[in-house]
Parts: sequence; C-alpha cells; structure tokens
Amino acid sequence: MSKRNTITKEIIYMGIAAAVIFSLRWTVPLIGGYPELATRILIFGILVLGLDILVGLTGYLSFGHAAFWGVGAYVCGYILLHLTQNVFVAMAIGIAVVTLIAFLLGVITLRRHGIYFAILTLAFAEMFYYLALAPLQTWTGGDNGLTGIRRPELFGTELHGFSMYIFVCIWTLLALYVARRIKNSPYGLMLRAIKSNETRLAYTGVNVFNYKVMAFVISGFFGGVAGTLFAAYETYVPTESLHWTFSGEIVIMSVIGGFGTLVGPMIGAGIVLYLENVLSAMTEQWHLILGIIFMSFVIFLPGGVMSLPDKLRKLFGSKRDEATGTVKQQAGD
Amino acid sequence: MSFSQFALQLITGLQISAIYVLVALGLTLIFGTLGVANFAHGALYVIGAYLGLVISSQIGWAWAIIVVPIVLFTLGILFDRGLLQFFYKRPVTDQILVTFGLAIIVQELARTIFGGTTRPFPPPQWARIPVELPFGLGFYPPWRLIIIAVTVVVVILLFILLRYTKFGLMVRAGMRDPEMVRYLGIDATRLFTLVVGIGSMLAGIAGIMNGPAQSIDPSSGMVLLVPAFLVVVIGGMGSLVGAVIAGLIMGLASSFSVVFAPQIAQIIIYLVAVAVLIFRPRGLFGVEGIG
Repeated sequence: MSKRNTITKEIIYMGIAAAVIFSLRWTVPLIGGYPELATRILIFGILVLGLDILVGLTGYLSFGHAAFWGVGAYVCGYILLHLTQNVFVAMAIGIAVVTLIAFLLGVITLRRHGIYFAILTLAFAEMFYYLALAPLQTWTGGDNGLTGIRRPELFGTELHGFSMYIFVCIWTLLALYVARRIKNSPYGLMLRAIKSNETRLAYTGVNVFNYKVMAFVISGFFGGVAGTLFAAYETYVPTESLHWTFSGEIVIMSVIGGFGTLVGPMIGAGIVLYLENVLSAMTEQWHLILGIIFMSFVIFLPGGVMSLPDKLRKLFGSKRDEATGTVKQQAGD
Repeated sequence: MSFSQFALQLITGLQISAIYVLVALGLTLIFGTLGVANFAHGALYVIGAYLGLVISSQIGWAWAIIVVPIVLFTLGILFDRGLLQFFYKRPVTDQILVTFGLAIIVQELARTIFGGTTRPFPPPQWARIPVELPFGLGFYPPWRLIIIAVTVVVVILLFILLRYTKFGLMVRAGMRDPEMVRYLGIDATRLFTLVVGIGSMLAGIAGIMNGPAQSIDPSSGMVLLVPAFLVVVIGGMGSLVGAVIAGLIMGLASSFSVVFAPQIAQIIIYLVAVAVLIFRPRGLFGVEGIG
C-alpha cells in the first residue's frame, strides 16, 4: 500500500469519526436520549480510549482508572471553584497531577503481571477514594463530593450546553487521532509485543518495563483529560468517581465494545450510557441488567460488539474468513 | 496509652484480622490451585451474611451456624462446575471479568431482595451480654471474641486438613504444580472443585460471623474484597501462611492506627501494602518467579 493511499484512508476514517462525533448531539435525542447525554458519552469515550491503550495494546487489565478520572476531576473542579475559571489552566494542572500519579502508580504496580496488576491497581485507586473521603475532606468536600463548581470559561465565554459540547467534541477527535497514531506506530507495535509475549520481548534486549510505564502514563493522561472535562461539564464531582466500582464500570463498557479496537470501547461507552439513561427510567434493577449483559458478553462474545461482524461472517459466511477471527483470541492469552 | 486501652485495641484488631484471614484464605486457596483471582469472593461473603440473617431470624441461630457453611460449600461447587471450569483455559483477564460480572449480579440481586439499606443483624441472644474480661479490662461484647475463637479453630482445622490428610497433600501438590498432579493420574478436576467449595465455605463463615459485628448491605462484599485481595498479595499469592500473617498485620494496623494516627486510619492498609511491595514485590511469603 502506498503512503498516499494510507493518508487518504486516514483522512476518510477521521472524517467519518468527526461526522459521528459532531452529530451525536442530534442523533442521541432521536433514539430517546437528551442532548447533554452526547457530551457525557464523548467524555467517557476519551476515558475508555485511554484504558484501551493500556489494556487493548499491552494486555494489562487495570481496575484503577477511577483514580485518574477522579483525581483529574477533583483537581480541575477545585481550581475552577477557588482559583480561576480559565478552562485551560484548570485542565492543564489537573492533567499534570494525574500524569504524575500515573507515573508513580505505574512504577509500583507494573512490577507485577496479570492478576496481581489488576488487584494492585484496584487497591491503590481505592486508596485515593478513602483519601478524598476523610483525610482530604477540607478540599474534596468529603462524602458530599465537590459541589458548586463554577462554570469554566474559554476566552471570556462561559462553556456550557452547546459550547461545552463543541469543546468536548474537539478533545474527543484529538484523542481518537492521537490514540490511532500511537496504535499504528512502531511504539504501538512494541506495546502489542508486550501483550503477545513479554518475556520474548525482554530477551531481545528491549527494556519492557519502560514501555509499560510509558503506556500506563499515556493511559493516565487520557484519563486525566476525561476527568477534568467531566468536572468542567458536570460542575460537580461525586465521591463515586474515585470508587473502584467506577473502574469496573468503564471496564464493562470496554468489554461490551471490544478491547483493543479503540473505537469499540467508545461505542461500548455509548451503549452503556444510553441504556442506563433509558432503562433506569423504567426499572430500578438497571445495574442488575447491566451485570447480566456484561456477563453474557464475557461468556459468549469476549471480543465485544466490534467482533460481531466477524462472528456473523463465521456463522453464515464462507470458510475463507475463518482464520482471521481466531487470531485475536490467542493473543490475549 | 494505658494497658487496658492497648488490650482492647488488640482484641478489636484481632477481630478485623480474623475476617481478613477467613476471606483471604479462600481467595489464596482458589488462586493457588486454579490460578483464578476470584472477584466473586465478596459475593460469597454477602450470600453467607444474608443467609445467616434470614435463617437466624426465622428459624434460629443454631440452624444458621450449621446450614450456612453447608450451603456455601454447595454453592462453591456449583460455581466451579457451572462457570469457573469453562474459564480455566481462558486468559486471566477473562477470569477476572467473568467473576467480577457474577459479583455485580449477586450484589444487585441482594439489593433487589433485601433493599439497598444496611440491615441490622443481631448476634445470638447468649452473645449479647458483654462479658467481663480478666486483668480489669472491663466489659466487652462477646461476639467479637467468638469471631476470633471461631477463626482460630477454622484455621487450625484447615491446616490439619492440608497438612495431614491425603486430600491436603494433593491440594498442596496442585498448588505447587497442577500440571504434574494431572500426569500422576490424580483427578485434578475433582480436587479443584472441592477447593472452590472450601474457599466459598470460608467466605460464608466470614459473612455469618462478621454480619452481626458490623452490619450488612449489598455492597459490603465488594468493600471487603479490596482489603482481602491486598492481604493475599501482601502475604504472597497462593501462600496460606502468608495470608494468615498478612491478615494479622493488616487487621492490627487498621485497629491501632485509629488510636495513633486517626487521619490515616482509612488508608493505613494501603500504605502498608505500598511499603511491602516496594521492598518485596512477591509478597512476604510469596514464591519467587510467580507473576
């Protein structure tokens, strides 16, 4: 494939993505949502995109992304509340703090693999939850969360409603572009090599640990962007944003969408938030339904929605495609 | 700090430790033999607690004490046969996800049946009157003492089972090298199933014991799961002795920090975990090379 051809493809891809992202505010209400739900979906989309860079590429399942999201939201919210309403300043500081935390957490937790890593990220994220709850409650508002955050400003105009939506759209598009660049770069290839066989990669002389920490920090950076955006959009930070079940929730979104595909987790976030909106109005057992949906995916469709076309092709189509579907599965081992 | 104050904190700490140890032992047993990190372990604890609440209030405490461990053992076996066995060969992330999914479903079912609020769970009549402790320590609710005693007995029984029986020998062999156990012609599947049953029973005992000491709500299993996992990791995953020692450390740390450093009481176990992992990533009694 020639280079020009690749660029054209990339432009078409990003063009379609932009069209979907920028029209979400009008398409979501068509199926029973409300306009602000679109903004919410996009912010969560950035978060799961970051999670996918870590989990989808390196295979390290993190149960601690609530820490990135929550810390970002708290710092950004605190700055908006007390220091300045400049959205860039608030976000920049929030993201910087999150990135630093991601680095420290990464250095501690990435010393272990698989199960240990999942448990350790979970535990340390939980530490931030308890920190916000009691020792730091003068700043975080303790149990009530951070309330009364002032609306952010961008060049003198207040961001809310439509302007907030456009602001988030731009960030989402940027995040998707960067994530795709990372995935398709030689660096992304390294990360995927970690997933398929870490020991083999180490034997070739690569400093695997550095690559893992870097992936973790990038993932945290995305989480920081999403978290700070959330505080600016919601003007309220609930304590639950730091709880480990929140980390679980975004893992659920990603699984439903399909880890390792970048767009998949974003679609998963859209599906879960949309269903939450529709179903929680009808029934109190929304979380039970979500749990059942999630388990069905893990058992019957581990590749998520994104693997559905492949599966269907395998079921009804010709035999020639059969080889492609199974490769992904084994890589996860 | 006076002697009596110290002694009371010690007892409180030991009670917290006892619950950590019961839950962590099951987790580490299941991990050691099956290699599965059971995120649904907190759910088993919650089932034990609610089942204990229902049986003790409807029929009586004596029945609850007999029935809950048996039911949980059976549930554990069904859990392994009905779900876990299909995930032995799947990637570890899938095992985590499927048990996590089950944990959510159990938690939400409990919420649907019993409501989301905390339910008082009175201890048996005979364990409500505070008893006088020796050495002039004053009065203390006996239920907490009973929790400690029961845990000590359970742990001793478990160690006897694993150390001095043929079954225990096979389990320990399975924890060392599951592949080899299969080659020797031992029915590893049956072994695994029984281990899950025992682990679930321990979680159930923890549930029925700890329910009256604290209170229960549907999410208490998820809340307990995090420190229990930390205990397992700090002790060294798959190490039974490690789970007991780490459980003691964590329980005492959280109890004494309430007196000495109340600001960090909530996060002390995480700080301990950070300290241990920086200097000894494999955990206190962990085997080198695993993970």
